[in-house]
Order: sequence, then C-alpha cells, then structure tokens
Amino acid sequence: MPASLRSNRFILIALLPALIVFVLFAVLPILWSIYYGFFQWKGMGDAKFIGLGNYRDMLQDPVFWRALRNNLILVVSAIVGQIPIALAGALLLTANTWFNRLIRSALFMPMVLSTVVIGMIWGYIYNYQFGLLNQALTLIGLESWTQAWLSNPKLNMYAVSIPINWSNIGPYLIIFIAALQNISSEIHDAAAIDGATGWRKLVSVTLPMIWGTVVVTIVLCIAGSLKAFDHVIVMTGGGPAKSTELLATYMYNSTFAVYRYGYGSAVSTMILLISLLLIGINMAVTRRKSS
Amino acid sequence: MNKNRFGKTALASLAAMALLSACGNGAEENGGASTNDSGAGGGKVKLTLWHNFAGDDARAKTVRAKIDEFAAAHPEIELDAQAIPVDGYRQRLSTVAAADEMPDVFLSYAGSHIKGFQESGLVQPIQELLDAKPEWKDSFLPGAFDGSTFDGATYTAPLAMSATSFLYYNAELFQQHNVAVPKTWDELMAAVDTFNKAGITPIALGNKAPWVAQSTILGSLADRVTGTDWFKKAVAQDGAAFTDAPFVEALGYFKQLVDADAFDKGANTIDNTQAEQVFIQGKAAMMVSGAWTLTNLATTPEDTLKKIEVTVLPAIAGGKGDANTISGGPGAGFALSKKVEGDRKQAAFDLIYAISGPDAQKAIAESNSMVMYKTDVDSSKVTSLYYKAFELVKTVGITPVYDAYLSAEAGEAINNGLQEIMMGAAPDAVAKNLQDAQARSLNP
Amino acid sequence: MKTTIAPPAAGSAGGERSRLRRLIGGGALKLVLLLYAAGTLYPLYWLFISAMKTNEDFFAHPYSLPSEWVFTNISRAWDLGNMGRAMLNSAIVTSVSVALTLLLGTLAAYVLSRFQFRLHKLALGIFVIGMLVPIHSTLVPLFIFMNKIGMLDTYGALILPYTAFELPIAIFIVIAYLSSIPREIEEAALIDGNGWWGVFFRMILPLCKPALATVAILAFLRFWNDFAFALVFINSQALKTLPLSLSLFSDGYGTDYSLTMGAMAIAVLPTIIAYLIFQEQIMKGMTAGAVKG
Repeated sequence: MPASLRSNRFILIALLPALIVFVLFAVLPILWSIYYGFFQWKGMGDAKFIGLGNYRDMLQDPVFWRALRNNLILVVSAIVGQIPIALAGALLLTANTWFNRLIRSALFMPMVLSTVVIGMIWGYIYNYQFGLLNQALTLIGLESWTQAWLSNPKLNMYAVSIPINWSNIGPYLIIFIAALQNISSEIHDAAAIDGATGWRKLVSVTLPMIWGTVVVTIVLCIAGSLKAFDHVIVMTGGGPAKSTELLATYMYNSTFAVYRYGYGSAVSTMILLISLLLIGINMAVTRRKSS
Repeated sequence: MNKNRFGKTALASLAAMALLSACGNGAEENGGASTNDSGAGGGKVKLTLWHNFAGDDARAKTVRAKIDEFAAAHPEIELDAQAIPVDGYRQRLSTVAAADEMPDVFLSYAGSHIKGFQESGLVQPIQELLDAKPEWKDSFLPGAFDGSTFDGATYTAPLAMSATSFLYYNAELFQQHNVAVPKTWDELMAAVDTFNKAGITPIALGNKAPWVAQSTILGSLADRVTGTDWFKKAVAQDGAAFTDAPFVEALGYFKQLVDADAFDKGANTIDNTQAEQVFIQGKAAMMVSGAWTLTNLATTPEDTLKKIEVTVLPAIAGGKGDANTISGGPGAGFALSKKVEGDRKQAAFDLIYAISGPDAQKAIAESNSMVMYKTDVDSSKVTSLYYKAFELVKTVGITPVYDAYLSAEAGEAINNGLQEIMMGAAPDAVAKNLQDAQARSLNP
Repeated sequence: MKTTIAPPAAGSAGGERSRLRRLIGGGALKLVLLLYAAGTLYPLYWLFISAMKTNEDFFAHPYSLPSEWVFTNISRAWDLGNMGRAMLNSAIVTSVSVALTLLLGTLAAYVLSRFQFRLHKLALGIFVIGMLVPIHSTLVPLFIFMNKIGMLDTYGALILPYTAFELPIAIFIVIAYLSSIPREIEEAALIDGNGWWGVFFRMILPLCKPALATVAILAFLRFWNDFAFALVFINSQALKTLPLSLSLFSDGYGTDYSLTMGAMAIAVLPTIIAYLIFQEQIMKGMTAGAVKG
C-alpha cells in the first residue's frame, strides 16, 4: 500500500471519532441554538420567526452593552493578569522540589474548590459591615476608603474580577509548566553557552519555544472570560441592578428567568461571534509578533 | 510493529462509542420526563412526579413523607418521584417544557409560572378533582386559587401561603432603646433614626436575589398607598399605569428608608439567610420578611426566638389602602400534564389529593410553614414565633404580591429598579421602566 | 555576560555581595510565594472548619475555629445527599469521560498538528467554535436530541456531551505542546518501520504525558463539578452525580450553610487527590518521554 494512502487512512480513522462526538454533541446543539435565535419563543408553545429581531433588541438594550463592557474587563484582566502571573509562576516553579510542589498545589487550589466556596469567601472579604478588607483599611487608618465593594457600581466589576482571575491562574500555570518541561535540557545548556541568561534567555529562547502555548492560553482566556458565569452568579447574581451582569448571566436570565428563550439563544450566538472576533484579532497580533 | 493492531484499537474505540449510544437506545424507558400513556405493561399505572422538596427542612421532609405514604398505599401505581434541588428546578422544568416532555404531575408556582404552561397548552385543569371534594375546596382561604385559575378553570391547589411581608422585630432591642413598635410611617422613621444612632442596623435586608425587597417591602408598602384596585388595573394596563403619582410616591417611601440608612450598605450583596442571621444575632432591630423566615429560623434555639415578635408594616397617612394587611398569596401547587388521561389521570388526582389534601395541609402547617387552608395547628408542634405569625395572619387582610401578578419581564424590571433606588436612582425613572416592561409584555 | 555560569572568584568581594544579594532576593521571593500560597490555601482551610460548625456559629464567627466541633454535618450531608451513590456515579462518568477526551483529543490533535490535508483548516475551525458557547444555551437542543435517540438518563447522556465540550481545549493544548516537539524524531521512527499508529501510541502518547496530564486535570474538574448537564440529562436517582447533592440544602429562601459546607468538604477531597496524582505526571512526563526519543 502506498505511503500516502496509508496516511490518509490514518488521518481519517484518527480524526473521525473526535469529529463525530464533537459534531453530534456540540456542533449540532450549537447550530440548533443559533437557529432558535431567529425566533420569538418563550421556550414552550408556539414560536414566531422574527429574523434578526432579537439582535436588533439586543443592540438597543443597555444591559447588553453593560454586560459586554464587563466581559471585556474580564478579558483584559485575564490576559494582563492571569497569563503573566501564571508564566512567572511556571518559570519560578519548574524544579520539582518540595517547596515548589507545595506552592504549585497552593496556586492551583482555588480551581479545585467549588465556586460557591470561593464566592462566599470573597463575599466575606468584601462585606461592608464585617468584611476583612474594610477592617484592614480601618486598621491602617484609611477608614474613608471603606466601601460596600460589591454594591458600588463604579467598583464592583473590578472587585469581582479579582477573585475570578485569582481562581483561574491554576490551569494556566500547569499548562505553562507542561510546556516548559518540554524544552529539553540541551537547549538550556546551549542558551547558557551562548550567554543568554535572565530576561534575554526568556525573550530569545524560552518564549519562542512555548509561543504556541502562549497563543493557546490567550485563546482560552478570551473564550473563558466571555463565558464566565459561576463566580458572578455566586457573588452578586449579576447585580445590584445588573451592574455586574455578564453576557452569560444575561443569556441565562433571559432564557430561564424571563422566559425569552429565542432572545437568550441570540445572546449566546452573540457571545460566539464576539469571541471569534477577539480570537481573530489575537491570531493576527500574535502571528505578526512571532514572525 | 504491526500497524493493523493499532488500526483495530482505534476501530474498537469507535465501536465502544457506538455501543455507548446503543446502550441509550436499548433503555426501556424513554429518557424524557413523561411516561408512555398506555401504562399497560403488567397492569401497573406509571406516574412521574417532580417537586423541589429536596432539602432537609421540616416542610420538605413532611411533603416527602406524604409522597412515600401514597406510594406505599398504592402498590398498583408505579410512582417515580423526583426531588429536584430548588436552585435548578425552574431550569429543569423549562428544558423539558421546550421539548414538550412534561412530567405527569409537577410542582408549579402560582402566577406567571403556571400561566406560561397553561398558555402553551402543556397542562390541564384539576377542576374536576376540586369539584369532587367540595369540603376540601371550600376550606381553602379566599384567593387561594387566584394565581392559578385561568378562563374559569383551576390548575393547581396551593401547598403554601407565601405571606411575604411580616415585620419581625427584636423586642429586647426595642425595649433597651425605648422604642415603641411603629404604627405609623413617622414612628418607623424615628425608630430607624434611634437604632442608627445606637449603632444597630435598623432593618436587616438580604437583597442579593433581587426579588426580596420587592416581595417583602414594596408590595405591602405600595398597597397601603395605592390600594389594591389600582394595582390590579395597572397590571391589566387598564385605566392605571405604574407611572401614576401614587405609585411613584410609594417608591418614594422606599427611597426614604434607603436615604435614612435603614438598610445595611451592603444589603444588595448579602443573601436572605445572611440577613436573617444578622437579625437573629441582635445586630439588626427589624426585618421585613416572609413566612419562609419562620421555616428558616425553625431550628434556632427557643430562648433566642422568644425575643422576636411579629406584626404588620406601619400605616401610611393618606394612603388609599387598608393598613392592617400583609402581602401574600398562594404558593406553589401540583399541576397536571396535558398528556395524562384515563386510569393515569385518576391515579394522578389521587396523588395530588394525597399530597395537598386536608391531612397534608395540616402536616405542612405544623412543619412551621404557612398554608392557604383553614386548619388548626398544635402549638406544641411549632415554634413560638411561627405560632405568633400564624395567629396574626388570621386577623389581617391579604394584599397581592407584586411579582405574582406582573409579567416575568416587569417583575425583573421592578426588582432591578429597587436595587437601583438603593444605589441612588430616582423613583420616577424606576416607575417608568416598570410601566414600559408591563405594557410591552401585554402587547408584544 | 557570562557571570552566572562562571563561578564567582572565591573571596572576591563583588562575588560575595552578589551572592548575598541573590540569597536575600531568593529568600524574599520565597516568602512572597509562601504568603501568596497561604492566601490561596485559606479557602480550603475555611471550608473544612466551616463544615464543622453549627449554622449559628458559622454566622457569628465566620473566621474562627468552631466553638464546638460538629462532625454530624458531614455524616448528615452524606446520608441526606445520598452522596455515596452520587460519588460512585461521578467517579464513573468522570473517569470514562476523561479517558475518552484524552484518547480522542490526542488522536485528533496529532493529526491536526502533523498532517496537511483538505479541510484541515475547517476541522480546526469547527473545534474552536465548541469552546465559545456557554453550555447553558445548548441544554434544550441537547435534551431534545438525546431524547430523540433515547439516550437520556444513561451515563452516556453525560459522558458524550462532556467529552464533546472538552475536546477543543484538549486538542488545542496538545497541539500547542506538539508544536515544540521536533518532527525529526517521528520521521526516524517511521523509517524504522513503525506505522503511524505505532508512532502515535509508542512515541507521541508518552511524549505528550505532561500535556495529557494537564488536559486530564482540567477535564476532571469540569466534569466532576458540572451542575447544568447533570441536572437536566439525568432522571433516575440511581444515576445522579455529586453536584446535585451539593445544592440540596438551599431552597431559594434560605440555605443550610453547615450542611452545604459539609457536602462540599466531602466532594472536594477526590479533586485534591486527582490533582496531586496528575501533577506528578506532569513533572515526571518529560524525562520518561525524552529517553525514548
């Protein structure tokens, strides 16, 4: 059998199982949901086709724009917060000493815990009456800075984004550690002989080696931040008065609380489109950088 | 290495997947909530029942016990009872509703929840059952079927009364600070002032789930100002609108409370349980809350609970509504899927009667939970606080709870609006949003 | 420029100083890391002490040790939540889904990273889309679909959707990882007479161990904690998974925090163990793979 045929058969058999599962159980429902987005439908009974009506409503709804703004805050804070911290952590903690093991596990722990616990803890930190943050501020004489951190609409989205970022560092940390493991010791030696150390080694040797991983983590950050849901539901429920609403909580409320199923589906489709746009931008930017 | 072996491994994994889905196919029962209409297999009648009495509180245990009793007494019925956590209950029902796979009998909330199923033709009335048991039907309190009767037919019989606006107060704190129980609005504002000066939160409120302030405070407050007739007209958008002056005035009273720091500054970000705990620990002097607080506090030690008294919100001078009222209405009841017919329908009626009939109502009342049904409770079986509230309800009028009448969208608008007022918004802007939402949902 | 690899001249004052500085710097860094780690470990500690408190104690003294140690929260949560059965179900569903995700994901990732073929871009693009949609919007379509093929209320009703939605992340992590493994190794192996399957199973899989362990941790956590699918696609009590047990003690009007905390303390233990196991695999992975290459 000619080699090319053999590899064709391999491609087919290796790719097909994943494609079948993925198309049936993810793509199909997603397309289905996109289709619902063109209907006015309560989620039961009769549906009425309204074309782009839901999208028109969405663009006119201030809550949608606020949710989008909040999501963008999360995207930016994830890219400038999570990724550098995770990368620094990975660089510092690659050696498998007991100390590093302890720190690594600790950094990962928020990911292991239920978001309910994380949400409650941070709720206590931010609590107005007996929260740790306000107590600490009072202790160092900054009593005038004390706040109802989660209630103040100017601040609360930033307040909420801190625990979200904090608890999501873990996955990126291990992704980077796995990637760094892959740089063989010969390359480290070669770099050392060339005299590349510290920052220079990071920029000229290490980063290019794991660049593929960096790009993937940025994509994951974008996708994750635009789908963010759990932490906000637990900490503020998207409130007060929608000030911490995210696209995903907005979608969920429209679908299951206000019974605008078609509209909720349209919001979900919008999340998909915005994610694609941001990922496209990311790809364009990172490709230029790497060339 | 023989490449075929690896090819086979991959094929085997494909086959395993096919098998997995075949497993599903082979399952005897169809996966949805509904059972096959025939129920013929083996002469047993199959019924599915969904409810949200899943927790460890007294009421949930009582209802589950009633369900178990029914199952034991009816071996001819194969009952599949599902206790679904409250957090996911509506979502689960919505999903099966979208697929037209309703369970045979399921718990549905009075108001817009059951109305949605009715409008979509997913449920059938239980009028027949009510008419067959007149002594049962007639023992419900007035208004018990208001939230679940459409076109003259009733769809659920309530298992609970959601009395939503008791004024709970800590008598010990009132005494210590020489404050009289407020009978008028001015007295309430004075009490707020006194407690604030003493460093005690005047009114505990946990409004993170934004329906709380609406359900507990606004409904009662607004009714005192506008009267009930106005509200019903405004809901129907027939000769009244939520932008009318009296309603804006009512929102203004709520704003007065906010401006006087009656609530904790973080009230919008703590939940109801946290607020209850602040109150029960004596860190807050009052709490405006519903009958659920009686259930939640049922495990509190009696000597703490004894300090708590319960009354109605104060009167508002010049208001059109009756002052000696609390807002309340029928709670959830069991609804019957449209698809249930014949033997199964009779069995379903028997089931509904067993878990919401006279015995069940009494048992529920004695699990520290209000019912919409004339029954007596043995005071030794309930907490002292519950007994006080139970007796109080007998002497007061009941006014509508806002979100039981408003459309889902309008309910969301007023819930958010109250949070906005707590963040500094003006009452008339909030009133306009509510008006727009209600008008839109009546004429989409 | 070569200061760091050339050992500093013994006794030289500059060398001493820079070594001292680095020692102090390293110490300070370690201290900062330790403090940060303590902060991240605190919630875990808080969960366990909270699980041992009464409700009143929990609210009155949220930060302190229990004034009276209550162990019944855990045992009551275990019984009331039927957590033994739920944990078994979660273990079955999670482990099968993780295995399936790893196998299918790595195969697909290998093909997508090493072969150019028609529709290559399309296949890659389709997988991206799967990462971008909040799963709640797929609940109703998935429910209808699985109802039609009679798959609801089986383990498969969770395993296949879980796998499908985790595949994109798995594929992209593995592709990224593979992009830094030189192809020459495989080509040599191919010439040695291994078919593609041989190369994949004997070389790529072991080489990818760190990436696979990463995927496994993420997938494990996602599946173990999923509430949305578990709520909607499973009917029978006997098949219910753990997250449903955790939400039992909240009724919309109030939450029994001590029981909730008790249930969560139980549920978190397996995830910690899983994490520790996979973390070791990440660290060991490379050395094992490199030898074979």
